[in-house]
Amino acid sequence: MENADYFVLDDELWEELLALTDGEAAPCFQCGVCTASCPWGLVRGETFSVRKLIRQVQLGTLNEQEDLWLCTTCSQCEPYCPRGVPVVEIIQALRYMMWKRRAILEGLPSLLWSVYWNNNPWFQPPSQRTQWALTLDLPTYDPDHHDILLYIGCTASYDRRAQNLAHSLIQILRAFQIPFGVLGEDEPCCGETILRLGHLPYFKEIAEAGAKIFRDRGVGKLVAISPHCYDVFLNHYPEVNRDFEPLHYTEYLASVIETGGLKFQKTFDRKVTYHDPCYLGRRNQGYEAPRKILESIPGVTLVEMENSGMDALCCGGGGGRMWMETAPGERFSDLRVQEAAATGANVIATACPFCITCLEDGVKSMGIEGLEVLDIVEIAAQVLQK
Amino acid sequence: MTDFKIVVCMKVVPKPEEIRVDPETRRLERSQVRSEFNPPDMNALEMALRLKDLYNARVIILSMGPAFFEPYLRIGLAMGADEAFLLSDRRFAGADTLATTYTLAKGIEKLGHPDLIICGEESSDGATGQVPPGLAEWLGIPQITLVTDIEMDLEQRVVRGRREVRGGHEMLEVPTPAVISVKTASNEPRFMDYEIKDKAFKQTKIGVWSCEDIEADEGYIGVPGSPTIVTGFEQATIRERKREFLPGARDEVVRRLLESIQDYL
Amino acid sequence: MVASLYGVEDEQKAIWVFLEQMEGEVERVSLEILSKGRQLADEAGWSLVGLLLGHQVSDQAERMVAYGADEVWLAVHPLLEYFTVDAYAHVVEQAMLKGRPSVFLCGATPNGRDLAGRLAVRLRTGLNADCTDLRLNPENGMLTSEVTGFGGGVLALLESPHHRPQMSTVRPGVFPMGEEDPNREGHVHEMEFELAEGMIHTKLIQRVVGEGVDLTQTPVLVCGGRGIEGKFDMLQEFAHLMNGEVGATRPPVDEGHIERERQVGQTGVVCRPKVAFACGISGAFHFVVGIQDADIVVAINSDPNAPIFEYTDFCIVDDALQFVPALIEAIQMDRATAND
Repeated sequence: MENADYFVLDDELWEELLALTDGEAAPCFQCGVCTASCPWGLVRGETFSVRKLIRQVQLGTLNEQEDLWLCTTCSQCEPYCPRGVPVVEIIQALRYMMWKRRAILEGLPSLLWSVYWNNNPWFQPPSQRTQWALTLDLPTYDPDHHDILLYIGCTASYDRRAQNLAHSLIQILRAFQIPFGVLGEDEPCCGETILRLGHLPYFKEIAEAGAKIFRDRGVGKLVAISPHCYDVFLNHYPEVNRDFEPLHYTEYLASVIETGGLKFQKTFDRKVTYHDPCYLGRRNQGYEAPRKILESIPGVTLVEMENSGMDALCCGGGGGRMWMETAPGERFSDLRVQEAAATGANVIATACPFCITCLEDGVKSMGIEGLEVLDIVEIAAQVLQK
Repeated sequence: MTDFKIVVCMKVVPKPEEIRVDPETRRLERSQVRSEFNPPDMNALEMALRLKDLYNARVIILSMGPAFFEPYLRIGLAMGADEAFLLSDRRFAGADTLATTYTLAKGIEKLGHPDLIICGEESSDGATGQVPPGLAEWLGIPQITLVTDIEMDLEQRVVRGRREVRGGHEMLEVPTPAVISVKTASNEPRFMDYEIKDKAFKQTKIGVWSCEDIEADEGYIGVPGSPTIVTGFEQATIRERKREFLPGARDEVVRRLLESIQDYL
Repeated sequence: MVASLYGVEDEQKAIWVFLEQMEGEVERVSLEILSKGRQLADEAGWSLVGLLLGHQVSDQAERMVAYGADEVWLAVHPLLEYFTVDAYAHVVEQAMLKGRPSVFLCGATPNGRDLAGRLAVRLRTGLNADCTDLRLNPENGMLTSEVTGFGGGVLALLESPHHRPQMSTVRPGVFPMGEEDPNREGHVHEMEFELAEGMIHTKLIQRVVGEGVDLTQTPVLVCGGRGIEGKFDMLQEFAHLMNGEVGATRPPVDEGHIERERQVGQTGVVCRPKVAFACGISGAFHFVVGIQDADIVVAINSDPNAPIFEYTDFCIVDDALQFVPALIEAIQMDRATAND
């Protein structure tokens, strides 16, 4: 460590960070590998530096707060850290320190209020959470009759584009007679956005309340449409009950395919490249299941992008960035769709509603012709035998 | 300057999209409805809390309504208000603007002499916007309504407010004490402070005052104090978009469109 | 029970309309109310009185007769040149106690609401705010006001049977403006009243008209997306005709066709106009959130399957680049004819 003792100005800031991260920030020795691997380097050069942020806290001079909100929590850096520092956790803790100091970007308090009053981060009325499904007649989850609780999530409930993911998944479950239920208007927001934006105590409150709902309803297998919801249920919720098993839908469908319960009959004659969502892939090692589903679809030619799997480039929508503006020329999705185009694929498949939004934006703004963005579940629904 | 005191009037309202009118009885169905803080009142509280940050003012929330308002007032405390009082008495029920402003004014008098009374522009349920001037009249003090920004001169005991008017704004100055109403959405209400939330939700005592506590004249509150009577409710068409495709050649469509939107302009 | 300063037994069978003026010009909403007031007065056989306060406004008084007033009460004073609620409430109160009208109406404008809110308390009477319709029962002289609540989802009918005056503020734009008839006859009555500097506590420090954009407050919002290919001049012209502002989706902002402060949506401004136009916009959820509180949404897009139409009241399948100019031309023609 380079003469760290010389520079300690405000021990309190550093102590606060250590307390918030259970000391996990301590091993950082400022090597800078995190900064070198950060995708912001691809669009901004050196201006956003994870290393520097931590350094500033060590020095007690954390003031460049705008940078702190750039992080998409993609975890690209974490596997490279020689000391195993959980960078995303540190970013979240730093963000919470900003909440405490009320040095917050405009719009973020409103986002929290939206979750508080509306049970969703999209400023939509809670009473309209199930409006997308009015004609579907979805059964309310009952552990005695249903294999799974289908957790729709806020985005797939309200965003018309993402609603198609929910519709597709329901079509598949029904086609293969898999008994499932939903929570309808009682479905709680998972709180993922709140966690990523660093409001740790509010997230804790949401997670406890959500876990109680799942417990009271006797939820066992929970299948989530978005990897973001899935991630918090799996890694950040308190214990629900012994049977609670959160799954991303790709994992669930892949397991049903494995046991022969699901077969696709029609063909999808397209060249497909798969974009790994951060919270499915890097965060939870869900690399195989989505590829397995794609491979089981007749006609699909699967090609990989230059960076895939563990090195997949983030779409830019994580870490609360879906609610912040990213300047043109700085959007990861613009780079990502070019990578996809370079494979010669005509479909980018992915498995996350945020990725869909960002990648579709990228395809449009880069003016790429003949490249369609689809969620795996949409492709799967297209090849169902009638 | 801890003797600078601000009262913020706040109200809990049903979420507007959930209110229905019973087609038979023509009454409002509001039993199963979710409630929230009247959004404009959140802007009022935020303005008060900014003044607290600047001048170390004491911020007091005052509300009138049934007991279920209490947990909502705690949200205000968790945002940073110092105290909260609820005017709650069955006899207050059924109040129109005249009785409401009278009751609130009596509550404010009981609270001592605030320098500012800050209200939201209007409530999302009644949407009259008449509480702030009515309150100012009962209290016999000046008002500045629809303010987007405010500055205090504590020496001169005046307040200056930037007020939105058609096509621009004006800067008005009045002596304190004064009533201020805040233009909706002119600031962003802060989220609750979790360092104080537990205390706000579990410990802080909320003063609940009856008609006698505020020494109100029974003829001026609730139904007897309200000249206005509601003779009926009707459900307005719900905000479901029409999705009406205007047919015809371009010129016809232009005509149809201009006719269609005329009523809304 | 609370009693008003004068009651039903002392009322004059008259409808009074407060004529709001700004810089010597009577506001449109006041003319709209005069026109509605004329109709109600004729049905009930009552008289219609305009109340005009200001400094150099005498010329306007005759015009108000032409717009339907039987009588205009005129209060002229240098201290009334600009609206202050203290001065105006003081003078209007004196007029009302002299004239004791059964009905008093004014526009639900910022100043109208300030004035009415104070007067109602001072006279201890009821006040129905921001009314969207008015009925007067010729039998018993009862005014019924229709108001909206709960974000416009519920209509309520209100009456004030035992208190006078029956006061209502009227939402601008709900009643059509009547025709000016120069042959109408009426009487202008110049009021005597008390008013002194010491009664006014409000100081107008500054008044600025016509300044920077505030999309959150505009009544009409004209938004352009990719489909208008950067032709924001055209939208600007249209918005200007509609007394509105121009907004945009993200792509044209990114491409530098228009400034970032005009970006509408989740990461831009969330607006609540009366009418929102979406021109050449496909309808991404991110954008739609910014106009979901509009009373009415009009969309123009050449693709009949564009998602924007799901969020639209009036859908127009056409090229915005062709349709908007046609719309501009039609409005200009209508205005030219109206002015002939």
